[in-house]
Amino acid sequence: MREKIKVVSVLPNLLGTYGDSGNAVVVSKRLALRGFKVDLVRADLKSGVPTDADFYLIGGGEDGPQARAAEFLAIGSPLERALDKGAALLAVCAGFQILGRSFIGPDMEPRDGIGVFGCRTHRFEGPRSVGELIVDPGDAMPGVPMLTGYENHQGITELLDGTRPLGVVRTGNGNNFGPRVDGGVIGRAIGTYMHGPVLARNPKFCDYFLSLVIGQVDPIRDVALENSHDRLYFERINQVLKD
Amino acid sequence: MRKAEARVAIAGAQLVSSLVRSLGIGEGAALPGRLLIRLYPGVISELSKSLPAVLISGTNAKTTTTALTKEALSGSFNVTSNTTGANMDTGIAFSLTTRKGTTAGKDLAVFEVDEAYLPDIGSKLETKIVALLNLSRDQLDRVSETRMTASKWSSFFQKNPHITVVANCDDPLVVFAAQSASEVLWVSAGLNFFQDAYSCPVCGGEIDFSDSGWRCTCGFSRPLADIEVSGNTVSVFGKGIEMNLSLPGQCNVANSAIALGVCQVLEVDLDSAARRMSSISEVAGRYKRVSIDGHEVRMLLSKNPAGWVEVFDMVGDDSSVVVAINAQTADGKDPSWLWDVPFELLRGKEVFASGERAYDLSVRLHYAEVSHRVEKDSLEALRACGAKDVSFVGNYTSFQQLRNRLQGNNGSLVSFIRRLGNRVLG
Ligand SMILES: [Zn+2]
Repeated sequence: MREKIKVVSVLPNLLGTYGDSGNAVVVSKRLALRGFKVDLVRADLKSGVPTDADFYLIGGGEDGPQARAAEFLAIGSPLERALDKGAALLAVCAGFQILGRSFIGPDMEPRDGIGVFGCRTHRFEGPRSVGELIVDPGDAMPGVPMLTGYENHQGITELLDGTRPLGVVRTGNGNNFGPRVDGGVIGRAIGTYMHGPVLARNPKFCDYFLSLVIGQVDPIRDVALENSHDRLYFERINQVLKD
Repeated sequence: MRKAEARVAIAGAQLVSSLVRSLGIGEGAALPGRLLIRLYPGVISELSKSLPAVLISGTNAKTTTTALTKEALSGSFNVTSNTTGANMDTGIAFSLTTRKGTTAGKDLAVFEVDEAYLPDIGSKLETKIVALLNLSRDQLDRVSETRMTASKWSSFFQKNPHITVVANCDDPLVVFAAQSASEVLWVSAGLNFFQDAYSCPVCGGEIDFSDSGWRCTCGFSRPLADIEVSGNTVSVFGKGIEMNLSLPGQCNVANSAIALGVCQVLEVDLDSAARRMSSISEVAGRYKRVSIDGHEVRMLLSKNPAGWVEVFDMVGDDSSVVVAINAQTADGKDPSWLWDVPFELLRGKEVFASGERAYDLSVRLHYAEVSHRVEKDSLEALRACGAKDVSFVGNYTSFQQLRNRLQGNNGSLVSFIRRLGNRVLG
């Protein structure tokens, strides 16, 4: 048995609308299959967010809960402290927005974000970005092919200094600002508009995310599991690029 | 609109409806309803004059609760209803052309209404009672926010103080909407899915759930129930009514409690209402068992995480389960909700992942450690089951597809005519 790994699902009761809690399940299982002992923690408003974990996952949600989550995560800066200690973080949709420098609150006014990512999110005055999203990360993440997910948001996210995009948008809107890109990456923190959940749709992306903390990852020997991932991955990519 | 023109519009819609039904390509309400509204824009308000309406809305169990309520009230009223589940303006417009009776004081409409359409349709009809079941994530690509829906319901009740609301007091979002009504009957109908209820609709804080109810630090809390459910007994203001439903599952007892709440407001005898409801054994093809190549298949429809909680209750002893997932427009195009369903509960059964999005389901089942096989064709999956008693669980279009095939209907003809109708009507 290898060392113990702590995975935190951040405020899933507020931010977990689009099945994003699945990301924590996929991370935990892919660690366990590689022999790690995994401690999966659901952090809520009562328990608070621990700062000693290895992986943090935060998902999408509605405007009201999103603003509440931002207020809560600003107190004591648990996510920044954890990142400083070497943790990796994946933030999806509303979770990505509040971890930028500003986002739009339920009153349509800008609010301060946590500031992990150098980005600002504004409200898009056109139609909501809803549909399949395909993002090409290029060579940024070794071994990670094109990413597939589903987006559903009203944001336009402007990347500022120091934060690079996760990849180039092939289909869909993603950040919906300037050059066609999605998400943001700074250090071991990754933000994206893709849910699905994104790690279930893109197991190689999940393994790359794991490698940010545990170093090189061994292949998973559960052939049936990996086959199911492959079938889904290629079906989504082929279907969407065809349409 | 002149009377003669209105009559022509109605006759035209009815002709299309019977055509749709005789071709076996649908229940014959939505498409003719679109035609009707196009030809006769004021149809809903005009055909519903002096027809008091009971509207039933929420994310889950609308069709079943409407069927139960309609049956419960049929002993006392001439009831017009949209029992086929066509619950938007089109379906309701068409249902009004089938209006039963013209006896003042005896006529009543019982309509299931899509949650997003409730304020609009409720304003056009002579709405007397609204029953609110629950509100949770469903088709997020279409209805974007549950909290937004609750706010719209709330202002609708504020503007219409003559409406009595029969509301599920176990669902905070329903309570938030219903408390702005002037008259509310609270029914403890249970809450199947908490994920959308944790965030307080009043203050944004986190609601605390316990066995005795729920409350938020801001003071927003569960109202005391007027109607409660315990096993098969529904207690209405302390009077116990025994329910002996033919429909399976504890959730249907809760649905019948909502129906009894409506009966209570309309002063209908509750014991005879309960007797009438026990005669229902299927609702729009759901719940019933059909024979397929030596298997006895229970047909279940579930389209979101909350609905699945009921399904686990009904699958019961069936050792084989075929789950079929599509992601067409009517299903919601984003099946990521599969990760909010505790599929772990299917461990130990023979499971087939089926439908157009079988691969999404298969990955989910792997992570839930449910051993399964993948067969995209539901009928083939059912045939391959080892057990005699099988549960089939489909989401909206996968359920309809199987039903059409079992009735020998041609699926591609169905979609062709639907596309044609959509093109013609714009
Ligand atoms: Zn509150």
